[in-house]
Amino acid sequence: MKQIKNLKRGILLFLLALLIVWPFLFQSKYLLHILILIFIWSYVTTVWSYMGRFGLVSLGHGAFFGIGVYTTAILFNLHHVSPWLGMFVGGLVAAAIAVVLGYGCFKFGVIGHYFAIATLVLSEISTLVIIALRDALQTGGRLGLTIRSVGTSPLYLQFDNKMYFYFLALALLLLALFIWKKIDESKAQMALKAVGEDEEAALSLGIDVVKYKTAVFALSAFLTAVGGTVYVQFTMFADPTTCTGVGLSLGIVFKAIIGGMYTLWGPTIGSLLIVILEEYTRLFLGSAYVSYSHIIYGLLIIVLIRFLPKGLHGTVSEIFQGRRKREAKTLLAGRQLAENRD
Amino acid sequence: MLILNSVVNGVLFGGVLALMAFGMNLMFGVVQIVHLAYGQFIMVGLYLVYVLAILYHVPLLLSCAAATAAVALLSILAYYLVVKPLLKAPPINQLLALAGVWMVLENACLALFGATYKGVQVVLPVLHVGELYIAASNLIGFVVGLITLAMLYLFLNKTYTGVAIRAIAQDPEITGIMGVNPRTVYLVTFAVGGALAGITAACFVPVYSVHPHFGGAFTLLAFIIVILGGMGNLLGGFIGAFIIGVVTSVSSTLLNPEIGQIIVLLICLLIIIIRPQGLLGVRGK
Amino acid sequence: MLELNNVTKNFGGLCVLKNVSLRVEQGEFVGLIGPNGSGKTTLFNIISGSLQPDTGSISFLGEKVTGLTPNKICRLGIARTFQIPRPIKSMSVVENVMLGLLFGSRNSAPARREDMKQEALKYLDITGLRVDEWTMPEELTAAALRRLELARALATRPRLLLVDEFMSGLNTSEVFEASQVLKRIWQEMGITIIWIEHVMDSLMNLVERVVVLNYGELIAEGKPSEVSKDRRVIEVYLGEES
Ligand SMILES: Nc1ncnc2c1ncn2[C@@H]1O[C@H](COP(=O)(O)OP(=O)(O)O)[C@@H](O)[C@H]1O
Ligand SMILES: [Mg+2]
Repeated sequence: MKQIKNLKRGILLFLLALLIVWPFLFQSKYLLHILILIFIWSYVTTVWSYMGRFGLVSLGHGAFFGIGVYTTAILFNLHHVSPWLGMFVGGLVAAAIAVVLGYGCFKFGVIGHYFAIATLVLSEISTLVIIALRDALQTGGRLGLTIRSVGTSPLYLQFDNKMYFYFLALALLLLALFIWKKIDESKAQMALKAVGEDEEAALSLGIDVVKYKTAVFALSAFLTAVGGTVYVQFTMFADPTTCTGVGLSLGIVFKAIIGGMYTLWGPTIGSLLIVILEEYTRLFLGSAYVSYSHIIYGLLIIVLIRFLPKGLHGTVSEIFQGRRKREAKTLLAGRQLAENRD
Repeated sequence: MLILNSVVNGVLFGGVLALMAFGMNLMFGVVQIVHLAYGQFIMVGLYLVYVLAILYHVPLLLSCAAATAAVALLSILAYYLVVKPLLKAPPINQLLALAGVWMVLENACLALFGATYKGVQVVLPVLHVGELYIAASNLIGFVVGLITLAMLYLFLNKTYTGVAIRAIAQDPEITGIMGVNPRTVYLVTFAVGGALAGITAACFVPVYSVHPHFGGAFTLLAFIIVILGGMGNLLGGFIGAFIIGVVTSVSSTLLNPEIGQIIVLLICLLIIIIRPQGLLGVRGK
Repeated sequence: MLELNNVTKNFGGLCVLKNVSLRVEQGEFVGLIGPNGSGKTTLFNIISGSLQPDTGSISFLGEKVTGLTPNKICRLGIARTFQIPRPIKSMSVVENVMLGLLFGSRNSAPARREDMKQEALKYLDITGLRVDEWTMPEELTAAALRRLELARALATRPRLLLVDEFMSGLNTSEVFEASQVLKRIWQEMGITIIWIEHVMDSLMNLVERVVVLNYGELIAEGKPSEVSKDRRVIEVYLGEES
């Protein structure tokens, strides 16, 4: 057992070292680009899973991502505010919205698929807001906006050399994994796990259900918005379909489901697979065929939810470790509706 | 006058919306499922009409009928492949699987038809009634909507299956007592729901051109109407449709259309949180 | 310690509790009996904040607690067990008890995980449940799950404990053992208890005072010996049997 652990740690350290030296060894701009995308989406998906793994399925993370993207972009384009500050402001705005929506939902017992739908509505609102503000805040509406270029400038988080984004995105991903670990060690993890499985029992043990759920929602929203900022600084372009809205929200959730949201590496593996799938179809079939990759992963979702509700990595690691069934059996342990009747 | 005009057109449009929401509401009431891919079924219907009428020169009415039948079949297929295996799963799993269906249909249409708008050019007159201008397309939608709903009303009240559907919608645990097989009822419900999506699509033909991202907004619109009237409450949904029809029509005349939609969505959020039984609904059991 | 004033609760048209008033003093051991469906569990749900009364008020240690959420009430010192045990299935038995330790009281739990584990095992031991660190709730029998419920409630370090059916389905020797557990909690730990039970002899032997509910109404109250002679109580129970 201990040997396996050491082996695993060894492999991880080796991979990390490889990733760190990668941009110096290989010059391929294309591969670097793909890796950056993988890091960013893994980061966002991991951060989404902070909630998802406790049965809090948000279909609103597209909105939070978009808030990060557009807050940064607008502050910079219109007021020349550094994206470093924009990142922070965007995060706070996202967290504030999460607190208001989350507090309302959790206080009134909006859980499970009702919560999913409430957050879905938020996603749709975010798209409409961006379109509505096309002139007032120069979001460009459906056509999108371009970040004003100032060449390479660390202060304004713009780099001609993509290597900087590579390390930034990698650092973000590591941060997200680190926070996951921290949550696991904290008492919040126990609280959220209990709440995810049986809210009434959790309440009866003194767990402040509303507080913990709202807190993890706010944290997740904040970090998602930060991801949006880094993404837009990297691509220098934003439009409502790729940077916000229902489609993006579903994309994040699907990556988590495919990899498995209950394990540390599941979200990363899901994102890795999806990004590769998308890029593969784009590269070998042409960009007109990217929709085929989406068909494949839509189908994959339907099949996985039916047969492997814990996702690929979740299932594999369970088989490997043969450990006790510690996670909930369902994809998302919803509140048990067992009424306390005779 | 402008406002009166848009109120009238809103009411007329409400007829189609009522039809659309009815399908989703029925599926929620009977199968207890939120059909997240409902708007995509309407989109498929529109594409089918386009393919038949424009590419194969089938007469328009016949195309609409064929599309309706095809969407009903597609809905039955979705029931068997996606919904039925998950009937006992947590609702959130059902929701996400249907999100998968959304993704598949949307991208299949994108792959087949590209991202551009496709439509059947039907030139319909604008009628002058006194000082009002009424779009004939809205009028047709209104009439078709009401006729279909009337037929549904007869079906739900006069046939045995229909009565069983209604009974289950009111009390999901009643099937045992009624001696009906819930699976049969579910199947019929999905077929009817699909047919309604198809007829909605037919009514939309003169109004909208279709594109692959067309469905999402209509899933949400249907959903908002259902929420407004109270989920599973069929009469509430009917009234809700006209309210939404008028509100969207008036707000897009007065304000910019996005702001109108945002307001509607915010109200929808408030209802989900505070009155999940709907504004028009009475508190259930 | 606990005071209920004219508590009424309706479900739809059904009146489940009618003007129930009740006082429980510090250190008492009260039995709550009544036929099935008479509203006993509902009364617990209302005291613990899971349900809100339609009218009436509840105070605990002189403070009004009506309207507080269940978690706040738990932290004030009222713990409850569920009639149908509700363990967190994805956590081990010991972790379930740790939940009570971590969140159930204003006093902080031991900081080190090891100490917390020992503490949890101690509470499990009090209820007579011997398990190891890895036992999962799904491995437990129905009777053992009830003990877990009790241990978890105790771990919140309550001053008032609401026990909902601890003994149904046990054999004679197990019933005796179970009553010893409750007795110890009451006498040695000094916790006030309200106890719902259908196993009448055992309850009558143990408690100081009995409260009888019938169709949501409090029909009798007093020492076990008095209550068992009460005409209305006998009618209710005979009526149930016939
Ligand atoms: N959540 C609820 N909704 C509707 N009726 C309920 C609910 N909980 C309990 N009841 C009804 O209230 C009555 C009293 O139930 P309960 O308090 O569980 O009785 P007891 O515990 O004394 O057997 C029963 O008729 C039961 O059906
Ligand atoms: Mg009971």
